[in-house]
Amino acid sequence: MIKSTVILSLAAVLLIIINAKTTGRHMEGIRIGLKQMIGLIPMLLSAFVLAGMLEAVIPEGFVNQWLAREAGLKGILLGTVAGMFSAVGPYAFFPIAASIRASGAGLGTVVSLVVGWCLLGLSRLPYEAGLLGMKFSLMRMAVSMPICIIAGMAAHAVELLIM
Amino acid sequence: MKGAFAGIASAAIVLIPAVYIIGGTGLLLEGLHISKNSAMAAAPMLLVSFIVIGQLRVLISKEMLNKWLQNNKGIKGILVSALTGGLFPGGPYVYYPFIASFVEKEVPFSIFAAFIVGKQVYDFARIPMEMSFLGPGVTLVRNIITLPVPIIIGFLAKNINPEKLGGAFFTKKGGKL
Repeated sequence: MIKSTVILSLAAVLLIIINAKTTGRHMEGIRIGLKQMIGLIPMLLSAFVLAGMLEAVIPEGFVNQWLAREAGLKGILLGTVAGMFSAVGPYAFFPIAASIRASGAGLGTVVSLVVGWCLLGLSRLPYEAGLLGMKFSLMRMAVSMPICIIAGMAAHAVELLIM
Repeated sequence: MKGAFAGIASAAIVLIPAVYIIGGTGLLLEGLHISKNSAMAAAPMLLVSFIVIGQLRVLISKEMLNKWLQNNKGIKGILVSALTGGLFPGGPYVYYPFIASFVEKEVPFSIFAAFIVGKQVYDFARIPMEMSFLGPGVTLVRNIITLPVPIIIGFLAKNINPEKLGGAFFTKKGGKL
């Protein structure tokens, strides 16, 4: 967590400098970010409670059999489907994904969960189908489904080989 | 946003008694302890993440992205639209109406596909959140693995003949793409 904070802090400082030199609106950027964060506090707190409860309640046997590195393709498929049905925004999704990772899920499962949520998330379907048509949405999702599984398998291989 | 909050809050409210029934007060306290520790650990990262998000929102304007999308065609167009998707601010209620506004401008289908998948896969403003919660290692692996995805989808879309698949893709506005 310290590593992430350091990287993000460096990115924030860099962006503030770039914004100050190019647009001169760096203070506005800080205000926009903080305002967004304050508005999301109730959502974030609910997500943390939900994630904590999930981490406590998910049985170790279930994790080992279905989500851990040893689960292999089963975990990847489950991750993809879970990502698809995680009809929430990033502020709620990532604490939940982190709790699943912390409970012992493998890298393949977590990556397929994140990619499944990115590409197949059903919460975006009404916007896409409404504005671009159901045919476009179904085609995009049909192409995206194997991508989630391939991404999960690639991450699983990375975990086996490197991590 | 209110609907999403209601969904998450409802799920938490349903899960709390379920945890109590499964494991009693001990498991419930353990869950709350995990929640508190996670929130405390994530707080500084969240603060910095939102500063990054705010800076990106100011730095990248819709007008600039609009210009990029209209000025680039072919392979370069696919790459630029995937990148533009990743840079585009806001949720689905913002970027779908934006990209739908290009249907009548006869922008190639591959540009739409690369933009939408670029937004979903890259979304640079989301990376700070991803890194905060999943750590730099998982974030790096996930982003490297999915880096070519919007470009592959763009190329697939470029080579698809809509007529072989039953006509126009955009049924809503009846576009020719």
